[in-house]
Amino acid sequence: MKKLLVAVAFLTLMTACKNENKNKVNPAEDQSAKDQVVNVYTHRHYEPDQDIFKMFEDKTGIKVKVVNASADELIQKMKMEGKQSPADVLITVDAGRLSRAKDQDLLQSIDSDILETSIPAHLRDKDNQWFGLTKRARIIAYAKDRVKPEELSTYEDLVAKKWKGKILVRASSNIYNQSLLASIIANDGDEAAKKWAEGIVANMARAPKGSDRDQVKAVVAGEGDLAIVNSYYIGKMLNSPDAEEVKAAQQVGLFFPNQNNRGTHINVSGAGVAKHAPNKENAVKFIEFLISKEAQEVFTNANYEYPILESVAPVQDIKDWGDFKEDDLGLNQLGENNKKAVLIFDEAGWK
Amino acid sequence: MKQDGNKNEAFSLKTRFKRFKRDSNRWSVFTLAIVLFLAFPILFIGIELFAGPGDTWGHIAKFLLPEYIFNSLYLIVFCSILVLILGVSSAWLVSRFDFLFRKQIEWLLILPLAIPSYIVGYAYAGIFDYGGSLELLLRSLQLDFVRIDIMNRAGLACVLSISLFPYVYVSARAFFLNQANNLLEASKMLGVSEVKTFFKLMLPIARPAIVAGLVLVLMEVLNDYGAASYYGVNTFTTGIFRSWFSLEEPETAVYLSALLILIIFVLILFEKWQVRKLKFTTAKTNSTQMQRKQPNTAIKWLILAVVLVPVLLGFILPVAQLLYWAVLTASSVFDFQFLMISLQSFAIAMISAVITVFFALLLIYFAKWSSLSSIRSVARIGILGYAIPGAVIAIGIMIPTLALDKWLIKMLGNFGVEAGLIINGTMLALFYAYAVRFLAVAYNPIDSTALKVDNSIPDSSKVLGVGNLKTFFKIEFPLIKTGVFSAVILVFIDVMKELPLTLILKPYHIDTLAVKAFEYASDEMVMEASIPSLFIIFTAMIPVIFLNKLLIKR
Repeated sequence: MKKLLVAVAFLTLMTACKNENKNKVNPAEDQSAKDQVVNVYTHRHYEPDQDIFKMFEDKTGIKVKVVNASADELIQKMKMEGKQSPADVLITVDAGRLSRAKDQDLLQSIDSDILETSIPAHLRDKDNQWFGLTKRARIIAYAKDRVKPEELSTYEDLVAKKWKGKILVRASSNIYNQSLLASIIANDGDEAAKKWAEGIVANMARAPKGSDRDQVKAVVAGEGDLAIVNSYYIGKMLNSPDAEEVKAAQQVGLFFPNQNNRGTHINVSGAGVAKHAPNKENAVKFIEFLISKEAQEVFTNANYEYPILESVAPVQDIKDWGDFKEDDLGLNQLGENNKKAVLIFDEAGWK
Repeated sequence: MKQDGNKNEAFSLKTRFKRFKRDSNRWSVFTLAIVLFLAFPILFIGIELFAGPGDTWGHIAKFLLPEYIFNSLYLIVFCSILVLILGVSSAWLVSRFDFLFRKQIEWLLILPLAIPSYIVGYAYAGIFDYGGSLELLLRSLQLDFVRIDIMNRAGLACVLSISLFPYVYVSARAFFLNQANNLLEASKMLGVSEVKTFFKLMLPIARPAIVAGLVLVLMEVLNDYGAASYYGVNTFTTGIFRSWFSLEEPETAVYLSALLILIIFVLILFEKWQVRKLKFTTAKTNSTQMQRKQPNTAIKWLILAVVLVPVLLGFILPVAQLLYWAVLTASSVFDFQFLMISLQSFAIAMISAVITVFFALLLIYFAKWSSLSSIRSVARIGILGYAIPGAVIAIGIMIPTLALDKWLIKMLGNFGVEAGLIINGTMLALFYAYAVRFLAVAYNPIDSTALKVDNSIPDSSKVLGVGNLKTFFKIEFPLIKTGVFSAVILVFIDVMKELPLTLILKPYHIDTLAVKAFEYASDEMVMEASIPSLFIIFTAMIPVIFLNKLLIKR
């Protein structure tokens, strides 16, 4: 018993000391301190990102401090912290959240030639408040043995009768689904979008559940024929340590929809500089580094995303899927239509 | 007549007030202060209710609310049944009978608590998945694979039950071991059969302890976000996240939280009501431990088989699945940093547990020492935090502490002192949040042990002129020690597993294992999440084994 009490007292002391150190780390002092830092709020929890941050630290001597959480929570946090917010950079995994942050006046415009020349206009904010870092396409994974790619054409075609009971897709709480529907709202209008959502619900093979990878596995198992998923998950499955996942990914084909009209829906993972960033210069340097060739290569090689920098070639697995036409809808519109998309999902009964 | 009535009323009001004034002492004031301190984030959300719901409230009420209510009630009923069967039966068998490996089984039965429910959910999804462990196993045995789809309401209820039943097991077993012996012996002497003794005597008498555990389970069930969203089951909590984040309406989320709190309130009232009908105390707390029966060999094996089922389902199977994934991903995930993060998580959880239990003790005993009976009901408001999703509490703490910080910065600025955020984004806010969130976890085991301490013992001490505090340390604390340490350990484990609150309030460069596991899992890297999950489990196992030793020593 005494031992326990001693241990507890010791631990308390330890953390108390730690606490004091921590209290010293606050934005006001960061600026005056000799150590240069950049505080990053990020929704990207990928291991390769750590490597990229490390590369940046080695190159510039600026320390990268990271807060990981979902973008929504980070936005809420920044809003409440207001002027005192220590955040310099906000990174999200979709454009919708970035434009939401912009609407809530949490970001600032950045004047950077490097960013403007490297990133195509539709993949960054029109006021340069945020910038795309990597691209991902929402594609159709089909069972190679049951579906011929010629039978597929567009997202809109998925509501056709022939796909009844064949479609697998995850829940509507997922941001990639919300963005896809937001793009359909932007392209086809509200009414058509609602009809589309209802049509997909009618064609679903099962109630939505699980992750994108789960949808692919269900296609291979025969629960349905088509899965609407993000491209990089297939890349990850092909390189998975689990042999069963590799086998599953090899049995599906990838189809990029809407090639004959607007192009396949894409989304970006992107970054913006916080409005009250205490280390603005470092923040700009940091984002510029994320667009550099070396960082972009890590993004595509380790995470199977499409690089935003055209001079960087995608990793071989992605190259094998071939080139495709992208929907060049301004990504701002994904944020603007997001809430509408959620409401339409509910009305259509998309769980 | 009318005048008379008024007079009486005035009279009674007056006496009531007088009595109130006479009976309220400093302990009443302290109790109120603590309740206010702990309930502040919740009250803050309550005040927000007056601002009215967001625009989409009508939309939610029309399209989603019926489903939320149905699913939440379904989970309450289904989980209650399963948890009671698993928890009570195993608690009774290990405290009544002696059999092979009983000692090991006793602490193995607590271990499912060490695994976060959502990790159990992922593990089971992995077992029953296409190409999952079950299929591989059957294939290697040349058997046909018939896939059982567990990713639905019933599956979720099963997964939550097998990961949460130890709450009932722990409180029921503590009761059986320490309180039940006298009655059991009396029953045996009167020649009542074993089965009848259990159903007619033990079960009813243990009800307060069992229901206290059950209420904890149900609160956890209603709070679950990770497993429910992965299994595609929409509950109140997923609804709160949806309306807050997808629809950007915190006001609507607050309304859903309020409804959820209402359900919890009903559960708490139910518990109070059923305990009141069964109030009894015994002066001989902890005096004799239950004597275990030696059944014959066949029955011994049968009992072993029965108690192994929850151990297997709640711990061995999910851990085996996690270990399998860990082996597959070890090289890409594991490094020295993990050990540091583990130590950090351990320290944070231990300190929070001690702080939380301290508050629970203050609340229970201050209320006791206060002569006002109404204060005791007020004290229970302090434990409401457990009913509220971590993310909501985090916001309830964040808004007021930030305001306080900003005020402090301004005040200090007047004196020419430059300061940063003092409370927000530091460990202070995090510890406060854990105390608010997990007070119920500490409160219930202590309260139910304290209930069993006959008031006559401390009372005689006080009659002899010993003060409240001294009486507590010399007499009451030794009597409720097991309850207190169980409380420390239960809170410890909960903090180890806690996620949304930690994510929002944690300071820079403080990572916990749960945060690490979540980062992987939320990116569909469930396999990679296995190593931090296993670290949570092993870190949490140490105090669990300790708790068990403690219970046995008594």
